[in-house]
Amino acid sequence: MNDINKKRTGNLISIQDSLVKARFFDDVIMGETAEISVDGKFLQAEVLQIQPDPKNADAGIVEMQVFEDLTGAKIGDEVVFKGTPLSVLLGPGLLTSVWDGLQNPLYKLSEEDAYLKPGMNAPALDETVLWDFTPIVKVGDSVSGGDVIGTVPEGKVDHKILVPFKYGACKIESIIEKRSVNITQKVAVIVDELNNKHELQLAFRQPVKSPIPFRERAIPTKPISTGVRVIDLLAPVGYGGTVGNPGPFGAGKTVLQHSLCKYAVADIIIMAACGERAGEAVEVFKEFAELEDPTTGESLMKRMCIFGNTSSMPVAAREASVFIALTVGEYYRYQGKKVVLLADSTSRWAQALRERSGRQGDIPGPEAFPMDIPDQIKGMYQRAGEDLGTGGSLTFIGTVSPAGGNFQEPVTQATMDATGGFWGLSQDRADAKKYPAIDPLVYTTSVYDGFVSWKDRNKMLGTLNDANDIDQTISTIGLKKVPVSNYIQYQKGLTIDFCVMQQDAFEKNDACTRPERLEIINEAVQNLIEREINFEVGDMDDEQLKEQIKHKFDELRQWWREWNYSAINEEQIRHLPKAVEEFILQEEYAV
Amino acid sequence: MIRKEINKISEIGKALISVEGNPGVALNHVVELLEADSNQSLSFAKAINITEDTTRFQVFNGTTGLSTKTKIRMHEIPLTAGFSSKMLGRSFDGAGEVSDGGPEVIFEKQVSTRLDTLNPTVRNVPKQALWTGIPMIDVFNTLVKSQKIPIFAGPTEPYNRLLSQIAKGAQADVIIFAGIGLKFDEYQYFKEQLSQSGNIDKTIMFTHLAGDSQIKGLMLPDVALSVAREFGDQGKDVLVLLTDMTNWSNILRNVANYQDMIPSLQGYPGSLYSELAKRYEVAADIEGAGSITIIGATTLESLEDPVPDNTGYITEGQFFLENGKLKLARSLSRLKQGVNGKTRSDHRAIMTAMASLLADAEKAYEASEVGAANDAYSQKLLRYRTDFIENVEEPFGEPMELEAALNKCWAILKRHFDSTETGLSKKLIEEYWDKN
Repeated sequence: MNDINKKRTGNLISIQDSLVKARFFDDVIMGETAEISVDGKFLQAEVLQIQPDPKNADAGIVEMQVFEDLTGAKIGDEVVFKGTPLSVLLGPGLLTSVWDGLQNPLYKLSEEDAYLKPGMNAPALDETVLWDFTPIVKVGDSVSGGDVIGTVPEGKVDHKILVPFKYGACKIESIIEKRSVNITQKVAVIVDELNNKHELQLAFRQPVKSPIPFRERAIPTKPISTGVRVIDLLAPVGYGGTVGNPGPFGAGKTVLQHSLCKYAVADIIIMAACGERAGEAVEVFKEFAELEDPTTGESLMKRMCIFGNTSSMPVAAREASVFIALTVGEYYRYQGKKVVLLADSTSRWAQALRERSGRQGDIPGPEAFPMDIPDQIKGMYQRAGEDLGTGGSLTFIGTVSPAGGNFQEPVTQATMDATGGFWGLSQDRADAKKYPAIDPLVYTTSVYDGFVSWKDRNKMLGTLNDANDIDQTISTIGLKKVPVSNYIQYQKGLTIDFCVMQQDAFEKNDACTRPERLEIINEAVQNLIEREINFEVGDMDDEQLKEQIKHKFDELRQWWREWNYSAINEEQIRHLPKAVEEFILQEEYAV
Repeated sequence: MIRKEINKISEIGKALISVEGNPGVALNHVVELLEADSNQSLSFAKAINITEDTTRFQVFNGTTGLSTKTKIRMHEIPLTAGFSSKMLGRSFDGAGEVSDGGPEVIFEKQVSTRLDTLNPTVRNVPKQALWTGIPMIDVFNTLVKSQKIPIFAGPTEPYNRLLSQIAKGAQADVIIFAGIGLKFDEYQYFKEQLSQSGNIDKTIMFTHLAGDSQIKGLMLPDVALSVAREFGDQGKDVLVLLTDMTNWSNILRNVANYQDMIPSLQGYPGSLYSELAKRYEVAADIEGAGSITIIGATTLESLEDPVPDNTGYITEGQFFLENGKLKLARSLSRLKQGVNGKTRSDHRAIMTAMASLLADAEKAYEASEVGAANDAYSQKLLRYRTDFIENVEEPFGEPMELEAALNKCWAILKRHFDSTETGLSKKLIEEYWDKN
């Protein structure tokens, strides 16, 4: 066994961008972290590969990626190997935190300098905060990794203190009484079967690249109310599900992510801003703090934590940030919490792997991505899931930024293969400012028991499909040749699209639709689909009649959209199906 | 202080040189190349790739004329840029050297060109509009202070004219012009435009002309942005014009190619996204200090080209210039929602309504090309489309206040549609329909 307490070192022999090589004489562990000393600063690195040294049979060469800018590094600079893989600190205080991709707290670092400089770091969780610890086990109890030894309230979240997952069967040798402690103080001592003693604190480190296990994994079935109508009606995502959300730039991925952040019903939302614009992450942690959590009514930030590894930050840390965020999600899932992880964007993550493999000189796969990128993407999404054993779930919604908006590129393809749901954003819909630009005809879902019945959903889809077909007919052979009955069907589809599928994320009353309201909308939609509408033909010719029909539907759409924005009380909301009914009967319906 | 020297260059290529062994140079540190006999300074260079066997440098002035005997003097500091408020009104090259033939500038300080990431927590959420007087921008895609946004345009489009139009009216304390791979007439055009508008005294020009050393072009945005950032840190509102970032990306591609890097798409290095992001992310509204707004120009043949494609994912929207018009369909300002809710009550609604009608009109236009747009409504849409292109998408008219531009929009809608066809709410219709 390695004596990990012994100092093991190496010296740099090659430096290129964020990739370095070092010569070592002792031993190096694959995947362990290291610190490189450059101009008196210590830069974080991770071991990627170990090779023989062609110049020295007693030595070896280790290849590492460095998470910080290497300016000033020289041949011979010392490397100290840490013996532990890349890990994340788990414990109370995770919520409301804003970190960089390596879990350095950004607010804390800003006290030192407005700019992020190489070598800067600070404890991931505040060590001065006191937490009210209540033990739930007693001396002599048997415990093992993942068992709960006590709880602390973290805002409204009941944060369970777990035995670190690395421990097997142990016994509690001592545990403190109910009192306030910080995350560095000892709360318990456990003894393993070899009679080794281990001190436990409120927080512990967990490697990020190997998943925290499930107790009893299950297929996600219960849909999440996201507040976004097109999702909840047509393409719902279940607690513990996975969704890939690709779209060309400008198609509204960011606004959609922000909507999910604000309105998705969940205990905890983790945001991994991975290689994206800094401004968007800032908007989340500065503005969302003032918004209300849909379930508790508290500040939205109290249920969130954010990893802001934005596009100009070191690229190697981008890869780490997604794994770190996933591990935090798994930790809360293990405590029985419903967690939603939003990763924006998994394409940037894949590009980080591409940059690295390019520098390492690997033989490139399609579009120069590493050959195994589909497996890596699948492995990542597989960490999401529902756990019946704990009652928790981790839902993973990843955005994809396909080059050129082309869904055929490797990352989008691999994502489609890896996820249970798929929300494709359409450039055409975005160009027409039809938001959210999820194409009601291009998506998949693996939840069959959503907020409306499968039958109703299919009817809705059928009408949208019909409208789409008729639309194409109109643009190829002209309106005149389209029969009146088809034209009415087309107008019905347009109405469902305009008033239901489209939603204004910036209008207070329209931005979020809950299941109760959705049910009423569905009632109205089904009414509209099912019933025949009798227009007074009189002595109108075909063109006049169609004009008349369009005019009537225009009025309905205007009325309905207004309803979206303004119907607040029970009576106003209940009025929708009735109004549609009156429209069908061609009575005066506007109130 | 005696500086260490290296006396033998082992390899000289395009833009890059290498020396054998390990002279002790650090990554990204600067060295000076000297004529072997006269010790005359030929160029500076930067260490980009170091192993125990060889060290590779990027040569700022190009490698033509260098020999294996050229001396390398080590400076043991990373690349910096000179900074002084006396730079205002002057022109510099990509390395920050005076290039207008005027007197040398005595720099107050040297600033790092590493472009460290601004800690996101000290960014303000952008909330201040930057009015341009161009209705297509002010009404439909409002520009916001600290935004980073490119103009996407074909190589023959008047994108530089649009850039200078925006710069002329811009409410900024300092304008930094960063031109990469410019043609001489473009450089001269900007200079004249800025002089005429009286903005030249608050402008610093960094220019790299087509045919100048590639490495100097590659460095130019870093030098220009470092100077811009220093003004921003001092509390100034800075506007940076980067033109053209496709030229810059092409230099990046060339140099990556000289370094034998594995290309990803169309020969560009896999790091293209990160490299572009590093520059554009300098745009910021800094808590307790000033702001930096970046408007770039990205020339393109197709939107799917790697440079515009990556840029689109990095920037906060884009202005799309086609046939001399600012096109509504592909243009987007991602920050507009932060400002356009606080203007006139109809601003957002009319923007959405007109855009949605224009999308319908585009469909009718396509149908009309096969003779399938004969109905009355399609004809309305077609007339609206023509009106919109001529009167709203034209960026080069007289500057117009927002209020007037919104009224003009109502007038156009009324000219072509019934009020219910617009999708606008009853309330807004009552308030504005008959007034215009």
